[in-house]
Amino acid sequence: MRGRASRVTVIAAAVTVVMASVTSCSSSFGMPRGSTEQGEEIFDLWQIFFWAGIAVAVLVYGLIAWSLIRYRRRRRESDADLGLQFHANVPLEIIYTAIPVVIVIVLFTLSFGTEDRASSVSPTPDVVLRAEAFSWGWRFGFPDEGVEVVSEPSAEGVPGPEILLPLGRTTRIELTSNDVVHAFWVADFLYKRDAIPGRVNVFDVTPTEMGTYHGVCSEFCGIHHAYMTFTVRVVDQSEFDTWIARGAAAA
Amino acid sequence: MTTTDHKKLGIMYCVTAFTFFLIGGALAGAMRAELADTGSQLVGAQSYNTLFTVHGIIMIFLFVAPFGVGLANYLVPLQIGAPDMAFPRLNAMGYWFFAGGGLLVLLSSFASDAGGVATGWYLYPPLSGPRYSPGVGPDLLILGLALVAISTVMSGVNVITTTFLMRAPGMTMWRLPVFTWNVVVTAILGLVAFPPAVAAFVLLLFDRRLAGQAFDPLGGGDPIVYQHLFWFLGHPEVYILILPFFGVITETIPVFSRKPLFGYTGFILATLAIGALSTGVWAHHMFTTGVVDNPFFSAMTFTIAVPTGVKFFNWIGTMWGGKLSFRVPMLFSIGFLLNFLIGGITGVMLASAPLDFQLADSYFLVSHFHYTMMGGSVFGIFAAIYFWWPKAFGYMLSERFGRAVFALMLVGFNLTFWPQFVVGLRGMPRRIVDYAPGLGWDTPNLVSSLGALVLSAGVLLFLVDAFTSRRRRTPAGDDPWGGFSLEWATTSPPPEHNFSSLPRIRSERPAFDMRHPELVSGPPATASEPPA
Repeated sequence: MRGRASRVTVIAAAVTVVMASVTSCSSSFGMPRGSTEQGEEIFDLWQIFFWAGIAVAVLVYGLIAWSLIRYRRRRRESDADLGLQFHANVPLEIIYTAIPVVIVIVLFTLSFGTEDRASSVSPTPDVVLRAEAFSWGWRFGFPDEGVEVVSEPSAEGVPGPEILLPLGRTTRIELTSNDVVHAFWVADFLYKRDAIPGRVNVFDVTPTEMGTYHGVCSEFCGIHHAYMTFTVRVVDQSEFDTWIARGAAAA
Repeated sequence: MTTTDHKKLGIMYCVTAFTFFLIGGALAGAMRAELADTGSQLVGAQSYNTLFTVHGIIMIFLFVAPFGVGLANYLVPLQIGAPDMAFPRLNAMGYWFFAGGGLLVLLSSFASDAGGVATGWYLYPPLSGPRYSPGVGPDLLILGLALVAISTVMSGVNVITTTFLMRAPGMTMWRLPVFTWNVVVTAILGLVAFPPAVAAFVLLLFDRRLAGQAFDPLGGGDPIVYQHLFWFLGHPEVYILILPFFGVITETIPVFSRKPLFGYTGFILATLAIGALSTGVWAHHMFTTGVVDNPFFSAMTFTIAVPTGVKFFNWIGTMWGGKLSFRVPMLFSIGFLLNFLIGGITGVMLASAPLDFQLADSYFLVSHFHYTMMGGSVFGIFAAIYFWWPKAFGYMLSERFGRAVFALMLVGFNLTFWPQFVVGLRGMPRRIVDYAPGLGWDTPNLVSSLGALVLSAGVLLFLVDAFTSRRRRTPAGDDPWGGFSLEWATTSPPPEHNFSSLPRIRSERPAFDMRHPELVSGPPATASEPPA
């Protein structure tokens, strides 16, 4: 009895340590919190998936660990000793099929709703940004304001172009490519879209936090792909207006 | 060279595939060395781009898939009690198509005039078209892949025919060993998935050499069509890469638990469900293109998590109430479970289209993929090597070395790939030769590169084990593990025609029944068995 009690204590302590170390980490597990309205939607969804994942991992790893410890072959036993020879348990099998079905239905429904909100496009955006990717750089145009920012050819040590977006305003991004497939990704916005030659992809970003955000090309596009970066700086409306009025030149 | 014996061909497949594994691993080592620090130090951008392109193609098409074919070749006739495959000469031809195709792929990468192929393993046009990838390299690669694809179809036809027509009396489909079941489903997937890919490759070749413009928007073509055709291969392909190794660990776990597989019927149904669903999920690779019906492909992808989850319960239920002995094949099988679960959970995250908007083409995705393919399939391959080596060669590999190989690989693998989840969430895209400092990417990349060293040490130690065991030749006997399926009821190595006599087949584990007639359920042992 004492042996079993101490074993239970050890297991309980181990579980506590693991749970504590997991929860003490940021609950985002390193995922940026999303600096746009669309990104915040996706971040909320991430948290649900993350905790569902932790729950499944704890359950399955727990069952595996229990099997490995409890049912290990003891010293006095030999190859000739057999385990219990049961083959199946139909009610149990139905239950462990049904539970994942319920989990994925819930996750899919949540994910469907989030995609609807994060990818919905406003009919009346405040700013329109035409982003054209090329090998290897970006041409960012504001057609309503008649200004444009164009990359220098990307290479090691050459910083990518910088654009400003106004805080709290909805910017519609019209994305395309004029040669191969590229992709526009700002990790802090939790959003990327492919830039495909011959097609225009449209999505909205509504920044909710001032800051400087790193953007990359995330679809492999050839030799200088690694250097095809850009910067998005989210500023207030007046600074954005000044920048546009100066012809989008660097401050 | 001219053999048509399925056992010799199986071993040739496995040895050739493992050689490609060492080459592909060396390429990965070069990439990890480059990424250990910011800046571009060791290899130039063009060479780096060739490294990841060729690494991907080698590991997927020339290592994991053909290793599965090799195992199938070696094991299917033995497990069903047949003297050979149904079409032995087609089998040999399939091997030589694979070897020749593999050579062409290597040539395309290292011996072409305009440098190596640098398009990423999925060869997206227009980047892979004549304007952006001139030179003969991509053409050789396409031809090599076409040969490999044809060889896959040949071996698929052979595995299916052999299993359906050449089973021993009493070996009904519901007594078929799980490994054989899994490679049959794999073979069917190969027949479904490879023809469209060959079509895509041929059209790409037209574009490159005959001004075809099927995929070039400037000529009225559409690069998205290529993506559909390619992923119609690409997604079933990852199940082609995992199903045989689901089969492997489902052979080893019962043997080392001294128990029958828990839920055999459910397991087979889950395998069939995975096979069927895997043909309907391809466009989840295209969520960010903005031109596919994301919710449909997302729902299909979520659904495939269910049969995969069922398998975990099959494996746990098999260990439950067992007498587990932790021999090396069992250790690698447990490693498979531990790693693959992470791959499965992150796979469900990637199945969600909005999460994929963040995770696609990032290091998070790279890590997810390696948790399934390296942590899963490759651990399954090592389980298979340690499990069936004594059967194939008649002597044992070392337990002591094997435990060290396993420990190094498990630690090294997780050290390499866990940090890649973190760095992916922090915004690091895949396929970059260099990254700027100050983005929080440095430390995880360094850890990952150190982990790759540990992982490589494990693989090298395995080679040492193979050579020293070969010299020591500790005799294996016919059945060193107390095996369940028919291959353990013949000699090690088996004679040319496999069996001089067959035991009666009354369940899915005839070799076990032979040793424990008192435990066989079903009709009394005196009844003569009707032919299947």
